[in-house]
Amino acid sequence: MALRMWASSTANALKISCASKPHLSFSRCFSTVLDGLKYAESHEWVKHEGSVATIGITDHAQDHLGEVVFVELPEPGGSVSKGKGFGAVESVKATSDVNSPISGEIVEVNSKLSEAPGMINSSPYEEGWMIKVKPSSSSELESLMSSKEYTEFCEEEDASH
Amino acid sequence: MRGPVKLEVWKMGFVNYLDALKLQEKLVSDRKLCRIPDTLLSLQHPPTYTLGKRRTDHNLLIPASELKSIGAELHYTQRGGDITFHGPHQAILYPIISLREIGLGARNYVEKLESTMIELSSLYGVKACAGQKGETGVWVGERKIGAIGVRISHGITSHGLAFNIDPDLKYFKHIVPCGITDKEVTSLRRETSTVLPTEEVIHEQLISCFARLFGYNTVVWKENPSLSSDHEEIE
Repeated sequence: MALRMWASSTANALKISCASKPHLSFSRCFSTVLDGLKYAESHEWVKHEGSVATIGITDHAQDHLGEVVFVELPEPGGSVSKGKGFGAVESVKATSDVNSPISGEIVEVNSKLSEAPGMINSSPYEEGWMIKVKPSSSSELESLMSSKEYTEFCEEEDASH
Repeated sequence: MRGPVKLEVWKMGFVNYLDALKLQEKLVSDRKLCRIPDTLLSLQHPPTYTLGKRRTDHNLLIPASELKSIGAELHYTQRGGDITFHGPHQAILYPIISLREIGLGARNYVEKLESTMIELSSLYGVKACAGQKGETGVWVGERKIGAIGVRISHGITSHGLAFNIDPDLKYFKHIVPCGITDKEVTSLRRETSTVLPTEEVIHEQLISCFARLFGYNTVVWKENPSLSSDHEEIE
């Protein structure tokens, strides 16, 4: 690890082009998955508390995206449908759609993300929440993955490549 | 390790920006439904300025009304990235591929697009490298030779990369390219002393670099690619 960092900084100093940046390819094994949340295969999480469900993207997702520089969110009062896009994030010149794991009415959006989009990276499960929804179907919530299932899902996804 | 992976390449020549956009939307939908394999469009545009999702039109330095007089169009898109220019003698690749099948996130995908252009540059003795943090793209020193702007929807990519072979760099004076104020734009022609082959050869080399870096072991060339996809459904 130290040798790799030395080599990289030496390469930079000598202005040698690095065709592939040395990334911590094993960092994906250390993505956080929180208990008590439900997860979608497209790497969004849902926290159901009473009549409101909070939605965001997972630590695994933010790690694969890179630094988020822009977040596009819908207006409160609109609706979301399971599996359909409700917004987008931009990182490394790529806009990625974010999909809702459940259907329902949007009751609140995290307006702080327009000033501080990086919260999605630094705090994906807390300050980086994206929208709050009144779910229209409890069966949709139940069909999502548990934290254990999502952890296994990520491991299988990463292992197959 | 994944099994045999096929890439279908469409060599399209000159394509109007909006036509290419419409085609990409259709292909993204087809790819999502697994009706087509990973597909790569290789083309050039007539003089066109484009903006990304953030709509940073403060980086267009001439009034939009004057664009026609310089022979250029302006389009707003859903891709990432800032303002850029596309025009003749700039090689464009629009990969329509499934990132989930290939096992890449946005960051790794964009890095491989950067590597594609870096490798191509090295074929001509040009030492290019990826940008510093926040400056995605391909640079020769402080000069930008390749730009990237991507959209990912349900894990399927569209838009892509633009590599400057020998475009008219004066068009870049009318914008703050990619929103970065103090850096120049350059081209392969400017950076190499090697005599360049025909552009068709350079386009094919770019496609080869892409195919190799992304691990495709089968590349097929679509016969007579047209703007209307073969998969039109009768409505």
